[in-house]
This record gives sequence, structure tokens and C-alpha cells, in this order.
Amino acid sequence: MHINWFVFLAQIFNFLLLMYLLKRFLYGRIIKAMDDREAKIAARFAEAEELKGKANEAAELYEKRNQMLNEKKEIMLNEATMAAEAKRKELMEKVREEVDQVKARWQDMLVREHDAFFYDLRQRAAKQLYATARKALADLADVELEERIVDEFIRRVKTLDEEKSIQIRKAISGGGNRVVIQSAFGISEPMQAQIEESLKKQITNGFTIRYLEQPDIVSGIELRVNGHKIAWSLNEYLETLVESLTETLQKEAHAT
Amino acid sequence: MEIVSLNQISPDQVIIWSWSFIVINATILYTWLVMAILVVGSWIITRNLSSEMKVSRWQHFLEVIISIIRGEISEMTKKGADHYVPLVGTLFLFICVSNVLVIVPGFVAPTSSMTTTAALATCVFIAVPFYGISRNGLFHYVKEYFQPNFIFFPFHVMGELSRTLALTVRLFGNIMSHEKVVGILLAVTPFLFPVVMQILGLLIGVIQAYIFAILSMVYIASALSAEDEVHHTEIKQEGVSA
Repeated sequence: MHINWFVFLAQIFNFLLLMYLLKRFLYGRIIKAMDDREAKIAARFAEAEELKGKANEAAELYEKRNQMLNEKKEIMLNEATMAAEAKRKELMEKVREEVDQVKARWQDMLVREHDAFFYDLRQRAAKQLYATARKALADLADVELEERIVDEFIRRVKTLDEEKSIQIRKAISGGGNRVVIQSAFGISEPMQAQIEESLKKQITNGFTIRYLEQPDIVSGIELRVNGHKIAWSLNEYLETLVESLTETLQKEAHAT
Repeated sequence: MEIVSLNQISPDQVIIWSWSFIVINATILYTWLVMAILVVGSWIITRNLSSEMKVSRWQHFLEVIISIIRGEISEMTKKGADHYVPLVGTLFLFICVSNVLVIVPGFVAPTSSMTTTAALATCVFIAVPFYGISRNGLFHYVKEYFQPNFIFFPFHVMGELSRTLALTVRLFGNIMSHEKVVGILLAVTPFLFPVVMQILGLLIGVIQAYIFAILSMVYIASALSAEDEVHHTEIKQEGVSA
């Protein structure tokens, strides 16, 4: 087959030209675009990796912070619990003290009431006993009770021992030679004379006697001089009675 | 036109203009046409290339073609594929477009002219030693012709020449014969059958373009790999002696 050498060379030239043009307009550009895109994708991946690393670091940091906060919270909670417990104990102690105080006050009050009650009881009992004794004495004899009391007083004066007599004598002289005789009732003149006589006879002369009526001295008579006294009254018996009565009542109260 | 008539054997015979020894025939004209389509098309598409994630569909199309070419070359050369893309890619695109445009009435593929296929094969014939020498040097390349000994030198030369001739005749024969077969069939059985043959012709055209480009690359790669083997042997020997 015939080959035209000019056409042959022209085709070689054409091919080389086409190669050059395509290299310039096609391969170079396309390959560059592809490489650029690959580089960009790689860069994005690298960036994403970096961001992921940073995110992981941040997550770890927050995790640590969270843990620290939790620990702190735990500590604060424990402290608060302990403080609350201490406060509770303190308040309980305070309340207990207050209760104790109230209890003490109440017990004081109870004791006072108790005392008042027995004082009143004693008074009433004494009066009742006095009235009963007086009536009994009046029923049994023709002698007035006052006389009997005065007689008993005189008997006591007369039976004073020497030592007591000396003490009273000294007391009378120390007290300005004044003697006070108190009684729950009025003492008649003859009785007063008997008393004076017995005193002068037993103790000393030279003193003045002053008679006072004192209803508190239940059914009794009492000589008072500068801290010493000679007396008889139902009180002594009544006090014994009241003590025994108190004991009995207390036993009853404890039993209930 | 007369070029598809049975009494015309090649577009070379259709002289359009001539002065002295300068001849412009249909082969050259259609070659320019194919060149214009390729260059202008490439220029238009690659005018606004994007290296972003979102690209146009034409750019995608070209990127796919270039990627396939690069992939094929990489499989054979293992490295430096971009160096051979202009030659192999241009061979493939030129032959492929020439063969596919046959479907356009009035167009005659320049590849159906043996002058064109001979020119292309000659380019490959020159490219093989060019790449071999540029990569490994003249001495190693020439030495390869005397392997395993000098007796084989004529055989190597004959091999080079014969494969160039094979490239030329294979492409020319396939395309030319196809055109002639279609022409004859049109005369014998019009309508449906020639259409089927045209479709088959398109397939053959693309396959021939692929075969031409791949064989060219195989020849280049064989020269390169032979040199590489020599290099490897020398490096190993140096390693042992050291």
C-alpha cells in the first residue's frame, strides 16, 4: 500500500501537537485538580483528626473536672452532714437542758405545793386537834384547858434543871430584864400571878413580864427571852403527827 | 462524498489540496477535526475546573477517563504514571474519538488510513527507547539489546520493528475492514443489519483504541522493567559485596 511520506510526517506532527495540546489543556489541569482535591481531602481529614484529638482532650478535661466537682460535692456534703449532726446534738443538748430546767422548776413548784399543803394540813389538823382536845378536856373535867396548859407550863418552869435556869437567868439580865410570854389565849390574872411567882421562885427576881396573845401558837404558852424559851404547845405533838402523816402520804404517792 | 464508495480504499486517496509535495487529503482533514474536537472540548471543560468537593458532570467524566488511564499505566509501571499519561492517553483518546465518530454520516476515521496508524506506531516506536533512555541512560538501554548475548541483537531489533508493524496493521486492518464491510452490507442488505454492524463497529473501535494504548504502554513498560531488573541485580550484588 502506498504511503505518502508527507502525510506520514504530517500525522506524526499532528499527533505530537495533539499530545502537547492535550497535556496542556487536559491532563495537566485535570490531574492538578484531582491532586488538589486529594490534598484538600487529606487536609480535611488531618484537620478532622486534629479536631477529634482536641475534642477528646476537652472531653477528658471535662471528665476530670466533673470528677473533681463530684469529689468536692461529696466532701461538702459530708461536712454539711457533720455540721448538721453537730447542730442537732447541740440543739438536743439545749432542749434537754431546757427540759431539765422546766423539770427542776416543776419539781420545785411541786415541793412548794407539797410543803404548802402539809403546812396547811398541819394548821388545820392542829386546830382540829386543839378543838377536839379542848372539847375532850372540857368534857372530861371541870378545868379549863387554858388552866391545864398554864399548869403544865408552870410545872415545866418548876422542873427546869439548874443549868437551864442559869442560862435563862443570864438571858433575862442580858435582855434588859424583860420577859415576853406569848400564848394562844388570854391568861387570867390569877394565872399570871402563879406564873410570875413560879418564875421568880425558880429563876430570878427583878424583871417585868409582858403578856401577848398569839393565835399562831396553837393551844400553847411560850416564854421567850433573848434566844431561850420555855414552852408547851400542841405544836410539838402536832409536828410529830404531821411528820408521820407526811411519811405516810409520801409512801402513798410513791406507791402510785 | 466519494470516500465511502467501494472503489475508494483509503481516505488518503481523497486529495483536497496539493502544491508541490504538500498534500492535504481527507486523512489530514479528519485528523484536524478530531484534534479540534478533543482540544476545544478539553479547553471548554477544563476552563473552570474545580478542586472543591462539588464538580461539574463533564469534569467528572474527564476525571474518570484520566483516572482509568492512570490506573492502567500504574498497574504496569508501578510508579510515575503521570509521566506516561500524555502519550498513552492521547493515543487512546485520538483513536477512540476517531473510531467512534464513524457513526456520523460522512465521517471517515483517520485510523482507517495506514499512514495514520503507521505514524502512531512510529511515535510508539520512538517513545519506547526515549522513555527507556531518559529513565535509565543510553548504556543500559542499548545493553538490553545484547541480552542474554550479542547473538540476540538482530532478534531484538526485528522484534521492535515487527511489533511496530503489528500495531500499524492491526488498527488499520480492523477499522478499514469494518468500514468496507459496512459499505458492502449496505449494498447487499439495507436497513436493519448494517445498523447492528455499526454498533459492533463502535465496540470494535473502542476496543482497538484500548488495545493500541495498552500495547504501547506494555512496550514502554517492558523496556523500563528490564532496566529495573538490571538495576535491582546490580544493587543486590553491591549489597552482597559490601
